[in-house]
Amino acid sequence: MAKENQNSNSERIHQIKMTLIIGYALIIVAAIMIVSVFSVSKTTEIMEEKVSSMTAAINVQLKLNIENYLSKLETTGTLIFATPEVYEYDAVNPSEDGYESLNTEDIIGDKLMELCIMENYVDFGIVYSNNHYVGKLSNGTASLFGTELYAQLENIISRDRTEDGWATGCMGDYKRIYYVKRVNENAVFVASFYTTELENVFKLPEDMSDVTVRLIDEGNSIIYSSANDETGSLLSGDIAVRIQDLSSAALVDAEYLITVNTCGETMRVICSVPTYIILDELKVIQGSTTVIACFAAVLAVVMGILLSVKITDPVGTLVSDLDNKAKLDRLTGIYNKKSFEEVTEKTISELKSSKELGVLFVLDVDNFKGVNDNLGHSYGDKVLANIGTILKNTFRSCDYLGRIGGDEFAVYMKISGHEKNHCEKLIRSRCEELCAAFRSNYTGDDNTYKISASIGAAAAPEYGNGFAELYKCADKALYASKKKGKDTYTIYSGSEERAGDPDES
Amino acid sequence: MKAKKAAALLLSGSMLCGLTACGQHETVVTENKENIVISLSWWGNDVRNEYTIKAAQKFEELNPGITVKCNYSEWSGYQVRSNVQMVSNTEADVMQINYAWIEQYSPDGMGFYDINTLSDHVDLSNFRQSDIDFGMKNGRLNALPIALNTQTVYINKTLYDEYGLDIPKTWDDVFAAAEKMNGEHYPLAVNNKAALFYMVAYAEQTSGKEFIKEDGSLGFGAEEFSIMLEFYKRLIDAGVTPQVEYFERINNDSGMYAGTLAWLSDASSYMGGAEKAGYEVAIADYTSYEGADSLGWYTKPATMYAISANTEYPKESAMLLDFLLNSEEMAELQGVEKGIPISSSARAYLEKSGKLTGLQYAAFEKMNEHSDKMKVISPYMENTDILEFVQESCNAVYYDKMTAEEGGKTLYENVNNVLKKLSE
Repeated sequence: MAKENQNSNSERIHQIKMTLIIGYALIIVAAIMIVSVFSVSKTTEIMEEKVSSMTAAINVQLKLNIENYLSKLETTGTLIFATPEVYEYDAVNPSEDGYESLNTEDIIGDKLMELCIMENYVDFGIVYSNNHYVGKLSNGTASLFGTELYAQLENIISRDRTEDGWATGCMGDYKRIYYVKRVNENAVFVASFYTTELENVFKLPEDMSDVTVRLIDEGNSIIYSSANDETGSLLSGDIAVRIQDLSSAALVDAEYLITVNTCGETMRVICSVPTYIILDELKVIQGSTTVIACFAAVLAVVMGILLSVKITDPVGTLVSDLDNKAKLDRLTGIYNKKSFEEVTEKTISELKSSKELGVLFVLDVDNFKGVNDNLGHSYGDKVLANIGTILKNTFRSCDYLGRIGGDEFAVYMKISGHEKNHCEKLIRSRCEELCAAFRSNYTGDDNTYKISASIGAAAAPEYGNGFAELYKCADKALYASKKKGKDTYTIYSGSEERAGDPDES
Repeated sequence: MKAKKAAALLLSGSMLCGLTACGQHETVVTENKENIVISLSWWGNDVRNEYTIKAAQKFEELNPGITVKCNYSEWSGYQVRSNVQMVSNTEADVMQINYAWIEQYSPDGMGFYDINTLSDHVDLSNFRQSDIDFGMKNGRLNALPIALNTQTVYINKTLYDEYGLDIPKTWDDVFAAAEKMNGEHYPLAVNNKAALFYMVAYAEQTSGKEFIKEDGSLGFGAEEFSIMLEFYKRLIDAGVTPQVEYFERINNDSGMYAGTLAWLSDASSYMGGAEKAGYEVAIADYTSYEGADSLGWYTKPATMYAISANTEYPKESAMLLDFLLNSEEMAELQGVEKGIPISSSARAYLEKSGKLTGLQYAAFEKMNEHSDKMKVISPYMENTDILEFVQESCNAVYYDKMTAEEGGKTLYENVNNVLKKLSE
């Protein structure tokens, strides 16, 4: 019974321990989650920023590339003016001598050839207002403009100062990009190249193959795209709506990372990549962070459990010790009066059926005052301690033992599943064992002072449903034993008190 | 206590490691994958440019790690550029070359890579020995032919019908057509090179002499050159063709030219537009005197592919060469644009896919009908210097700066000098 009480304290300690562990685990997990979420979101933000600025830098490079490429053609074209025949010759003038004209055109043709010889230009020639041309003029261009050749080329000239201009999508054809420059009032210089040539201009490193590069005109028509079969079509709405009129910018949202740069006067270079592709890499980081966070959480929880066990175990032991000290009589090691009353009271109230019986033994040491007076208190204490031992040896470990006065002891014993007669036999047997134990201990070699025990016993629930009631009955029985001359026992039986007479049993 | 001490030691140790790791930055090296870059050069028109660029992309797709750099131009620019590149050792790894260039750039057979040594990568079994012989020089296989070619007479039958004219067969038919068309159309327009071949055919048939003999020496004398120059002047004066300087291919589309002389391989680029415009185009017999039957007309490999003797990547270049000549992908893209392919695998694919039809194929059949009487062209016949001298003399005679006799003498001297230089 003493253990049960101890168990309830242990349970409380255990509850405190579990609360501590769960609380600690929750705090740690929450803290790790917060740190992880924060670090992942910060990483996302930083990564988007970095990728965005890198793409923007590449975009600027591509813009420079295309501008260089166009500028190179312009410069090459301008070099035709180094030969006076080029701008002085007028193929439309009827006064020109045919033979001389052919010779002059030869010179012009040679000059043009010399300038464009190493380049993949599709057209590189001079077209006169009568549609006659010198130099290279491709079938494609001739068919495209037909009899409107000169007029259409003239229309491409858009810059007043330099009298030149760029165009693509002429008559809906996006296969070529044209450069036209006025040579004289009856002649224009035309050069063109396939838009496929821009593949070399817009070449990106292989690990950036997810980025789509586009060159668009002012009407958002695609002049060049690194994605297949887009040339000539309109820029898709989802990108167009994002870039609107931006001339130089980088933007990132949930769907796209887009960078824009204006080149020439009317064209824009656009690099775009779906955001999820960038975030794919972030997912790897997120995955690693989650694994590390989980590992850290598990580690922290395990460490927490270990720590709390390390901390709460000594506390539990200490509390348990203090608890025991408060409950037990220091001299005998059995319950003190208060504790005995408490546990007995509780147990009596828990008797469930007629088959269960609780017996309270009250024991008073006969002549104990003489021991103290003659042999000293120290010896008296030894005697009392020994009584504790006698009680422990006589009763079961599940019975409650208590010292309820200076030389007064009590035992509560629960008996289950026996008939009344058998119970009484058991009570009597215990009383006799106890009296005998006193006799053998203190009437042996040392007979200076003979001590014995007077015992009274009362059974519950027959004679009481509480400690006080039962004690009263047992005490009456004890009184009867004293009255009978001590060193005997009496079992309370209502109106009559019976002494420990073998005849009466 | 021991356990606690050990734990503390472990913890502080790991913290120390962590700190140390924070203090150092590990060098991360990412090597860039460098592609092998080989260059491919060709001449041609828009159609050829477009499909060859696509073919290069397809080859790159099929052979990751190889990038093909394209280099292209129309014919006249291409031959000048190629000349610059050949003499400066900057030529493309794989080149479309003209038949005459073998003689010009590789007289000893060393000017191009010996493709025989790359036969592990080029399937030569697709070529007959007679085809391979076109590319042999001094025991080395310098180039492989794509198709056979000849100058072909294309006639806009719709327009001829409108004038009640039959498809011309003889020189007289051609001049008669010009007379009937009366300046409204040119019955047979020629560019500078076609003009040379037309003049040679006429002069050979008229004189019975050979322009350039098999040994490379000149067969024509001043008299035969005079015949050529007179004939040119007559062609212009009669309105058969505009002056070669004013020849514009596009005029075939509009019907301004009711006929044209062009390579078999140029069928679609010269007459495709006219067909698209709804004209019926027919292949005429090779113009000749009554009964002369194609005398003075020549065949040659249309174009050939060669590998640079200086290439750093012979294997990859050979792979590209094989792709261009033998693959189904290229056959699909190219069709009969360069003529009917000589490679049996490419031809089998075209046959299987029903592409051996149309004007190109009709021209091919016409050439086959007459092939026994046609000679293989002398490489010198397409020499640029000769072509320029001919043109100069033609203009001098046409503009009455010289008589035909004087022009013939001058031309004879100039051409003779060129041939002498070439044979030195």
